[in-house]
Amino acid sequence: MKLRPFYAVLEREMLRMIRQRTRLVAAMVRPLIWLLVIGGGFNAAMSSARGVAYQDFLVPGVLGMTMLFGAMLAALTTVYDKESGVMRMMIVAPLPHGWIVLAKMVSAALAAIVQVALLIVLLLLLGRFGSDTRWLLLVGGIVSTSLACAGIGMLTASFSRTLDNFAATMNFVIFPVFFFSGSLYPVQTLPAVLKQVALLNPYTYGVDFLKHAILPGSGTTDFSLMLDLAVLAGFSIVALAVASWRFSEESAYEPMIRVLTGKRS
Amino acid sequence: MNAAAICAAGLIKRYGDTTAVDSLDLDIAPGEFFGLLGPNGSGKTTTIHMLATLIRPTAGSAQVAGFDIGRDAVRAREAIGIVFQESALDRSLTVAENLRFAGLLLDLPTKIIAERTGELLELFGLQEHRKAPVATLSGGMRRALDIVRGVLHRPKVLFLDEPTIGLDLPNRRRIWRFIDRLRVHTSMTVLLTTHYLEEADSCDRVSFIRKGRLVESGSPRALVAHLGKHIVEVESQDIERIATQLETKLGPCLRDGDTAMFRWDREDIAELTRLQWDFAPDVGSWKVRRPNLNDVFLWVAGGKALKP
Repeated sequence: MKLRPFYAVLEREMLRMIRQRTRLVAAMVRPLIWLLVIGGGFNAAMSSARGVAYQDFLVPGVLGMTMLFGAMLAALTTVYDKESGVMRMMIVAPLPHGWIVLAKMVSAALAAIVQVALLIVLLLLLGRFGSDTRWLLLVGGIVSTSLACAGIGMLTASFSRTLDNFAATMNFVIFPVFFFSGSLYPVQTLPAVLKQVALLNPYTYGVDFLKHAILPGSGTTDFSLMLDLAVLAGFSIVALAVASWRFSEESAYEPMIRVLTGKRS
Repeated sequence: MNAAAICAAGLIKRYGDTTAVDSLDLDIAPGEFFGLLGPNGSGKTTTIHMLATLIRPTAGSAQVAGFDIGRDAVRAREAIGIVFQESALDRSLTVAENLRFAGLLLDLPTKIIAERTGELLELFGLQEHRKAPVATLSGGMRRALDIVRGVLHRPKVLFLDEPTIGLDLPNRRRIWRFIDRLRVHTSMTVLLTTHYLEEADSCDRVSFIRKGRLVESGSPRALVAHLGKHIVEVESQDIERIATQLETKLGPCLRDGDTAMFRWDREDIAELTRLQWDFAPDVGSWKVRRPNLNDVFLWVAGGKALKP
């Protein structure tokens, strides 16, 4: 397997993240607002759920949110790549086109991992990070959740043709994935319909994994660790396979095909 | 395996009801400079994209540098460089970063990328723009960089799809100087598409493509020779009538607005001068000139046979 092309895609993603500092700042501010403002508000209004203060309960949720947004936004740049010509650079490279999808997915996950690591540092500085965190488990949870989130992003990217529907993607993919999960509330106590949707959402299992690592023994988890890991790994593989298949179809080069058949030769 | 650099047999590409490329055969020798010429929408780009393994032919087969474009697509891509009509660069990265990204994608070691970046940027006059973001480059510079990107891995076969499209004349000349220098430095096979016909004059061989089919092939000089010794270009307010009258004497013409063009296959133009005299009262301008590749293009695009 050729590693340099893989590295090329990762390096570019990191370079872009460093260049776009506002994106990075936004990625830190968003979870902090949720945790400190909304979490703080509900914390005062509600009695603690299952012996854990709401604000503490929310920590895995905002970590998950950071990864979800970070990985999704990075994976969705694939759509931009298709339009801007970067995809042309990648598809002429001497490697199977499925590897481009894998490289983009891993680099999106890496972007999410870097962002969540930064957030954890901030939370540690603010004294908001639980002292009984199981760190090794947390690393595992972060990696598998990031990959699954990147998988959701790659699937979305492989089915959207242009960036025109970016706002729609935000509203119809990222927000539902976030809200129909255990990020803000325990899944088990959700009304039946909402619970069914949450159970179908792979991201739910990522947040649950994080709860296992950050709030061990608190009784806030909904599933077993093995189930979480199995769902996340299984979903990541399926997402990769489906996105690769979509990209190997010519529809992936839609802008090019438009040029070929339509206005210009 | 095939000794040819590019070899295609019965290549067909259909999009729904439209046939973009229709039973195309090509046989291009190593080191050859080959031009694929034709009007917009004639299937040039589709052909290039098929040969570069980016889209799959509906039927037919092709080998590039000895590799089958279907079964051996990845190895074929190793031997191919391609410069698209639209830029294939990351505008948010600098010149050097773009080449590093492209080079790594091509699986080149960073040391080699750095070396060749230096060499090629020098050759293409981009050395002082190394650290400039691509978004700040002019169209001509961006195009030059696109070509550098396409040849970073020293491909055996280079596809140039309208390399000078949208550029002004000085920039087109510059790009051609670069391509000529590049061809001197390497022994690359080059397949060029363009509709600036004068650019195809230096090709070893050109093929005209019309509605997805190859209609004429040959060396530019031979094709021009087929057209005849002279072209008579007549312009008149009443071209309809004049053209009909002249056609009885000069053979079929090619009409374009107020102008009609006739072919004259004799060196002796005394008869033409006499005709000019006769028609002088009705004619705005009467030009007798040598044919060029543009004329070949017009006659081919007009659907006329080249050989008299």
